Amino acid sequence: MAIANGEKTAARSAPLNETSFIGWLHKNLFSSWINTILTLASLYIIYMVVMSMWTWGIANAVWIAENRRECFAISKDGACWAGVIIWLENIFYGRYPRDELWRVNLGGLLLILWMAPLWLPRVRDKIFIGLSTVFLYPFLAAYLFSGGDKGIFMQIMVSGAIVCLIGNTLHAAIGVFGDSSLPATLLRVLGKAEASDSNQRNTLLTILAIAFVAVFLLQMGWTTKFVPWTKWGGMFLTLVISGIGITSALPGGIILALGRRSKLPVIRVLSTSFIELFRSVPLITVLFMATTMFPLFMPEGFVLNKLVQVIIAVCLFSACYMAETVRAGLQAIPKGQYEAAHTIGLGYWGMMGLIVMPQALKHMIPNIVGSFIGLLKDTTLVSIIGLFDILGMLRSISQDVPWRGLHKEPLIFGAMVFFIICFIMSKYSRHLEVKLSAGANR
Amino acid sequence: MKPISFITSVAAVTAVAAMTFAGATVASAKSTLEIVKERGNLRCQVGTPSPGFYNLDAKGEWYGSDVSICQAVAAAIFGSKKKLEIQSVSSQVRFTALANGESDLLSRTATWTLLRDSQLGLDFTAVNFYDGQGFMVPKNSGITSALDLKGATVCVLTGTTTELNLADFSRANKLNIQPVTFEDQNVRNDTYLQGGCDAITNDKSGLASNKAAFPNPGDHIVLPETISKEPLAPAVRQGDGQWFNIVRWTVYALIGAEELGVTKANVDDMRANSTNASVRRMLGVEGNLNEGLGLGKDWAYNVIKEVGNYGEIYEAYMGGGKLGIGIGRAGSANDLWTRGGLMYSPPFR
Amino acid sequence: MAIRDTGKAPTRVKPKERFDFFHDERVRSVLYQLLTACVVGWLVWYLITNTAHNLEVRGMNTGFGFLTATAGFDTDFKLVEYEPGVGTYGRIFLIGCLNTLLVSFLAVIASTILGFIIGILRLSSNWLVARLALAYVELVRNTPLLLQIIFWYVGVFSILPRVKNSIDLSGGAEVAFLNNRGLYMGWPIPGDLFWMTITAFVIAVIAVVFLKRWAHKRQDNTGQQFPTFTASLALLIVLPGIVYLMTGSPLGWDLPTLQGFNFVGGAALPPAFLALLIALSIYHAGHLAESVRAGILSVNKGQTEAALAIGLRPGRAMALIIIPQAMRAIVPPMISQWMNVVKNSSLAVAIGYSDVVALFMQTALNQAGYAVEMVGMTMAFYMFISLSISGVLNIYNKRVQLVER
Repeated sequence: MAIANGEKTAARSAPLNETSFIGWLHKNLFSSWINTILTLASLYIIYMVVMSMWTWGIANAVWIAENRRECFAISKDGACWAGVIIWLENIFYGRYPRDELWRVNLGGLLLILWMAPLWLPRVRDKIFIGLSTVFLYPFLAAYLFSGGDKGIFMQIMVSGAIVCLIGNTLHAAIGVFGDSSLPATLLRVLGKAEASDSNQRNTLLTILAIAFVAVFLLQMGWTTKFVPWTKWGGMFLTLVISGIGITSALPGGIILALGRRSKLPVIRVLSTSFIELFRSVPLITVLFMATTMFPLFMPEGFVLNKLVQVIIAVCLFSACYMAETVRAGLQAIPKGQYEAAHTIGLGYWGMMGLIVMPQALKHMIPNIVGSFIGLLKDTTLVSIIGLFDILGMLRSISQDVPWRGLHKEPLIFGAMVFFIICFIMSKYSRHLEVKLSAGANR
Repeated sequence: MKPISFITSVAAVTAVAAMTFAGATVASAKSTLEIVKERGNLRCQVGTPSPGFYNLDAKGEWYGSDVSICQAVAAAIFGSKKKLEIQSVSSQVRFTALANGESDLLSRTATWTLLRDSQLGLDFTAVNFYDGQGFMVPKNSGITSALDLKGATVCVLTGTTTELNLADFSRANKLNIQPVTFEDQNVRNDTYLQGGCDAITNDKSGLASNKAAFPNPGDHIVLPETISKEPLAPAVRQGDGQWFNIVRWTVYALIGAEELGVTKANVDDMRANSTNASVRRMLGVEGNLNEGLGLGKDWAYNVIKEVGNYGEIYEAYMGGGKLGIGIGRAGSANDLWTRGGLMYSPPFR
Repeated sequence: MAIRDTGKAPTRVKPKERFDFFHDERVRSVLYQLLTACVVGWLVWYLITNTAHNLEVRGMNTGFGFLTATAGFDTDFKLVEYEPGVGTYGRIFLIGCLNTLLVSFLAVIASTILGFIIGILRLSSNWLVARLALAYVELVRNTPLLLQIIFWYVGVFSILPRVKNSIDLSGGAEVAFLNNRGLYMGWPIPGDLFWMTITAFVIAVIAVVFLKRWAHKRQDNTGQQFPTFTASLALLIVLPGIVYLMTGSPLGWDLPTLQGFNFVGGAALPPAFLALLIALSIYHAGHLAESVRAGILSVNKGQTEAALAIGLRPGRAMALIIIPQAMRAIVPPMISQWMNVVKNSSLAVAIGYSDVVALFMQTALNQAGYAVEMVGMTMAFYMFISLSISGVLNIYNKRVQLVER
């Protein structure tokens, strides 16, 4: 450990085979005869896959054609991407009216705008932003997507959502550029920075009320064309179903997980059996159950449309999976945290809501992203029961008379779309995991 | 208390969803026509895309012969074929979706059978396509009759009566046919084309449309035997006679118009100038045939104006039209009775 | 005091003047539970009465009588005798369950083996191999299984040859054929004295167990290794082999032969089965590979170094030191993957393999109605399987925990 003589020896440069390309090759690919064989075999596999994909998918492929016969006429042994390209709008938006596509795009952009502050540095009150995304954004999106006449309830929720969105965005901008928060800035502008707490609160509430009323009055004149759910489809529908699934899974999962860990036997048994019931059967059986049995469960004359049936099924299913994720998260919280919470006199809900859950949730984020990926992939099952999600649309191409029988290309395209989305998300969740565990180790 | 709040949240989600999607309807004593008029559009149920009958195009619009029936009924009620909401329902729940009021009309390749007519709480209105199950084999197999299929492997779609008919046929003729079941038509066709089975069995309309899409359609033949009768007809819920009549007579208006030579192109001219009493009564120039149906005077005019007559629909989607699947009509059961077919409309008087 | 997350705040004992009903902890807990039970009970009752009413209004049949009614349709893959028009719906359910179990069982074995191989390759020192394994895992894990199943079904079975040009997998012995109708193989028919061969095999297995114990003890005592593997292999082959030959080879083979359109005889596996098996194995192998990799990485690096330091070769170090320790981390996720294999086999419905969902919940439901009963039975079947598997997992976890202390 200790260096015997005080003089420093000059550092020798690394041996050649550590730095040069040849050296790298030798070390990583050809270090032994087994490795050499493995390397060659791998190269062969890569060559075969890449070459066949290249010749079929790109070199011999047809990109522009009117119908499949034309594709055949141009090239018999290549992919016919023309059909997929012509169907792109269907694949992404389903049968959504083509003039109204901006609403779907706007909905997506607003979600990004809403959630972007969560990733920005120096923005405060991220919990509030997160909660508002979960509780207010869905109403705005629901109206944007389905349109029609707004009831008074929807008007209030939509106005609330718009106010909240504006507030969030301003707050984030102020956070990033001014390192402050929206309320503080408002108070400073109004010269009330030094006023008493209740005075400050009243001022803020007044501003909020004024903003709300203003937005409410403005939005009254705003209506969009009604688009029935039967027109929803494609990737948009897949994202809607899995989005609702994951958003409602979180509160549902938390409640079920707490129920499962509860000391009250009736609640524990009920939660546990509910969770185990849904976790032990495949999603497709739950979906079949939803479509065949839900109509029987309802009182006579009350009809749930199929999309709602499917969404309820997906929510129940994902809540039960989320419950186990939450339970694992709760188990990771040291007992000391519970004891400390009790010591400062917090009750059950105080302890859970203020101390335990925030910590547990933070550690669960990678798993939640993982669950979302899983749910997104599982949502393709709704095509089996006849919804036109992305897979349903991809499979419909082959039934369209001009593109009759075109079914491999759409599937491969769908696989690529899913791969890109899921790969990015899983990389992100892994990055989060590393970041969070680094934080925990500090 | 936790499950309670969970249940309330489920209930809330349900309620919100029901509000948002406006999918909930509460049945009442109202007639179907009143409900449809109040809602402002017709909910018509079709199946997952099937060439010829109901199909999605690249713009997301439905087309096909069964879709035309939906459009015709919408036109009869509202005067516009656009006031229509097409619902695509998988075959497992097609009858329940009609029975519980999700859809007003089922216009999808549903075979009219005694069991369905009497036990499922629905009524079949009027046949709009006569189909029958048959077999398709490669020409070079040398098979010329379905009875040659002893011990053969036959590709069949699962979950339909086709499967049942095949088993019956095989048993009745001691053919010991090996069924290979498929969920997906394309996979079945690929398997067949690669020799994965010796024959395909399906409704003959389906066989024709599949054949048309093969790389070499001439290499395959449809065998002469028809092993089942498949009269396809739109169906409505039992118990609303007026609604039943509206749908039935809309179909008859399509057929009747063809009999009388009224087409989409000449319907205006016919209404103005025709001297044929039947035509005048049908198009609402004379008489009050519309009253019993509870529709406007020009309901049949609107139907023809918007979607054309039966022959035009057939040509467009079943026959040689650009979107047609190429099934010949001449001499088949689907031709007019005057030309030896079964299409026959009761008189408009 | 160990504080669990109880349903209420811990009591702060405070002698009270009067009994406060609503703030008494026990009363409250009973009240909560009673309330929950009431609401859940009411909900269940509500759903049941609605269902009963709806069933009655729609004139739908109920009860389990249909299980003994005959089913009219046929299925292309069955492990038990069945004939359309004679067999019952009960039989159909049995066929469906067995088909699900068969494909799941084989997929579990295949995916576990493949998963271990890929997981170890992921950690290979060969850069290219490790990358290739990574690409495999990412590709498989990031696309929907349903898409993959359809891909294998469409992609692979359309390139296999026709019946007349079947691939003879046994290299000319005409025992196993692969074509686009599936896999046909010879099936053994045991003769009269075949039980003796089986007995010999059982004896050999028992002998191997004792041999292993003895070899282990000897190594502990003397440090000498005994070639257990070679010896056991020899024992397992030679002993039953001799008995088999001595009793006059009492085993016939039912070989597939080409007759008319098809191969007749032997055992046949339809393409949908093979596609599902391949897709499930490959998909779950990707997931298992990650568990295996994580398990191996969870073993302290010092263990490898120590193993190498005492002179074990890398292969033996892996097999004797690393894997046994990694198993503790690998087995729980592995078993839950197995559970997923069983559940995901239900996607067979997309390609028409007659598993319990496709056969019973779809075809039979379409033919006979009885939605409530059929959905219930299918779900009960999956629940039974899943709960059995998780029971095994719990036992394993308990044992591992005991070993740990």
